[in-house]
Amino acid sequence: MRISTKGIYALEIVADLAMHSTEDSWESLKNIANRRNLSEKYLERIMKGLKDNGVVVSVRGAYGGYCLAKNAEEITAYDVLAAVEDEMIPVSCLGEKGECDRNNGTCAVQEVWQQLWERIQKTTEKVTLQDIVDEVEKMNNET
Amino acid sequence: MKVSKKARYGLRALVDLAVHIQECPVPLVEIAKRQEMSLNYLEQVLGALRKAGIVKSMKGPKGGYSLDKEPKEITVEEILAAVEGKFCIVEKKEEKELDALQRAIRKLVWNQIDEDVIALLQDMTLAEIADKASESEKKLKTESGVDANREM
Repeated sequence: MRISTKGIYALEIVADLAMHSTEDSWESLKNIANRRNLSEKYLERIMKGLKDNGVVVSVRGAYGGYCLAKNAEEITAYDVLAAVEDEMIPVSCLGEKGECDRNNGTCAVQEVWQQLWERIQKTTEKVTLQDIVDEVEKMNNET
Repeated sequence: MKVSKKARYGLRALVDLAVHIQECPVPLVEIAKRQEMSLNYLEQVLGALRKAGIVKSMKGPKGGYSLDKEPKEITVEEILAAVEGKFCIVEKKEEKELDALQRAIRKLVWNQIDEDVIALLQDMTLAEIADKASESEKKLKTESGVDANREM
């Protein structure tokens, strides 16, 4: 079971944005793309999901760019991943359109995946962007 | 993020074996029929579980598969590790390939997920899941029995 590349990049992009933008000084797509070594086109696609889900906001124009929609301590890793992953739930039978009609609701194996999913949710909801920013600064100070 | 078909099938096949432990060795076709799986695929998955020492197979007319350990000694963690490798939410990369931001995310998010999920899966045994599976199977049977009586 793996997180998609999109999810990995999204978390990097948003953490980068948290470090390089403020409410008064928005960051351009170009600068983020340069620092994260991504094409602007790909970055824009990821930003769209983040914007639609209220993680980032953007403004067009000469002084435009991107900025976090909330404080860094109010955005969790879960918020970011859920915004870009097409399907976060690990097995389809836990979703609304469950494809499995085998003993649905009473399946003991389904319960295993349910617990696995809840654990991943819990772990990623505990980490905020501010935690990541603090950790980067700590690492930079150490070297 | 998806649990692989191999992992889902592997776990279901083992629960099936544990629930029908009195009838072991169970022929492949029976598991395949009960679990609605293709024979080929099931054989592949059970092959991986056999290599890991979780099931054993016996050839011959009365042959089939049985568990190679007590259900309470088999954890979900080792089942998943046997069929799809040790649980790991992102591909592991060399430390020197990562910048500070990536190292921070790896430490706080990816490694934490791996650690928490592995601990959870190590705590779940095949015996517990099989017990629940037998219970719900019984419950379904009684419920459908009641319905049948009502219809008469």
